[in-house]
Amino acid sequence: MKITGEIKISDNGFVFNSRTGDSFNLNPFGLELLKNIETGKDFDQIKNEVLDRFDIDDLTFEKDFYEFCALLKHHQIISQDDPLDFK
Amino acid sequence: MEKLAYEKPVISKITAGVPNKFGLPTKLKTISAIDGIAVEKLMQEYGSPVFVISEKTIRETYADAKQAFETRYPKVQFAWSYKTNYLDAVCSIFHDEGSWAEVVSAFEFEKALSLGVNGSNIIFNGPEKSADDLKLAINNNACIHIDHFDELYLLIKVTRELNKKARVAIRINLDAGIYPIWDRFGFNYENGEAWNAINRIMLAENLDLIGLHTHIGTYIMSANAYAIAASKLANLYMATHRKFDHWLKYIDLGGGFASKNTLKGAYMPGTETCPSFDEYAEAISNALISSEIPHENLPVLFLETGRALIDDAGYLLTTVLANKRSTHGRRTMVIDAGVNLLFTSFWYNLGIYPTRDLSSHVEESTIYGPLCMNIDVIRDAINFPQVKTGEKLVIERVGAYNMTQWMQFITFRPNVVLIDLDGQPHIIRKKEELASLQNFEQNPKR
Repeated sequence: MKITGEIKISDNGFVFNSRTGDSFNLNPFGLELLKNIETGKDFDQIKNEVLDRFDIDDLTFEKDFYEFCALLKHHQIISQDDPLDFK
Repeated sequence: MEKLAYEKPVISKITAGVPNKFGLPTKLKTISAIDGIAVEKLMQEYGSPVFVISEKTIRETYADAKQAFETRYPKVQFAWSYKTNYLDAVCSIFHDEGSWAEVVSAFEFEKALSLGVNGSNIIFNGPEKSADDLKLAINNNACIHIDHFDELYLLIKVTRELNKKARVAIRINLDAGIYPIWDRFGFNYENGEAWNAINRIMLAENLDLIGLHTHIGTYIMSANAYAIAASKLANLYMATHRKFDHWLKYIDLGGGFASKNTLKGAYMPGTETCPSFDEYAEAISNALISSEIPHENLPVLFLETGRALIDDAGYLLTTVLANKRSTHGRRTMVIDAGVNLLFTSFWYNLGIYPTRDLSSHVEESTIYGPLCMNIDVIRDAINFPQVKTGEKLVIERVGAYNMTQWMQFITFRPNVVLIDLDGQPHIIRKKEELASLQNFEQNPKR
């Protein structure tokens, strides 16, 4: 899972996709997650950090995280390196 | 170390378009309590979903309407439109405030009688009246509003059989500038049908013509349309006097005042665009007072306002069942109240609000009901914050029609609770159960 090359993310949560011309707004936590994905952290790393800092249980976060990733994929903001990475 | 408050991650696409001249609200409205009782508490006690009706709002709204008309016109009488909400407790409040009953079926007629309404204070409207229904109305001295010639001749026949007089009015359809014209009910004004009906009634021995009635439509957003209707009825009122030397007793302008709900497709919210009671009253009273009718012979003005008197008093409390994403990434939400309970969701963008402050980040969402039916859409587009399953929501302005046009479908219809003037909740219609429904069924033995 990595952020596609055409994506620019500003520090205030504005996202621009220069390939499609689409722009997006992130809420603060969405911005934080996207920055974490950008640095190459995997789900478990991100989850552990979030559970340490935020008042949230692991299942709710997992559900929200994957829903968020599905949206990022839908908007062509992230892509998977290997479509068979579940191997 | 205390942990930080969590907020679901959200990304929303920025779409260019015509800017909204109102901008975005800085804070989403919340409804945490109804008449001083916490929504959470009401749902704990009476389940979810649950309809809640505020007696205080009913009486205050009625007082507003009454004041608007009585300060402008000398003789005003409201008649509660049963079909809008015929729960006994609701009708009783309107009757306690002085409303007559306006009914459109024998069922509603009998309901009004059972609530202690004097038969002579019942207006019997509607296109469906059997001979037995007419007998019921005549025997109770009700005001029968004749809808068509077949009904007129049936009524003449029934009065002969009973050898009794019937008090009648005719329903008149007319062009008040509202299109399409509602011409399926009553006799037409412009083509002379209404005048013909008046002439026939005046010749009938057992019919006592006492009024003229029109109902120009529903959710009428132009007060001036009522002025046109009132002027036309005033013309017939005077024509009847001139020809027959007979003063009618009342002019009934029906219902149709808009509530503050927002119609689907409307650019501006209903709270901004719908006329107030004062505007309707001003238009109607001016038209009648400035007509040819001499002041000493002004008719009683009857109003059958339903929607505008009860919509604001009704709430539906509901719970979020699930959050989903459509295949196009659109946010969707499932709540436990469906279109079978919210008939008005087909024509209104109902206001749906959380009970507490949530994230200020909103996303355009679709809200579905719980029915296993594709049409079960409560709001197809609403800016709404992220909510977890189990979150309580309040749907406002649902007092009109939903509790009469609701449908028992797939599951039971919920409790209806009335909060009285002392702030005490009472169940006024119990949640259905299997036995209450099976009671109507018969299963033939095989």
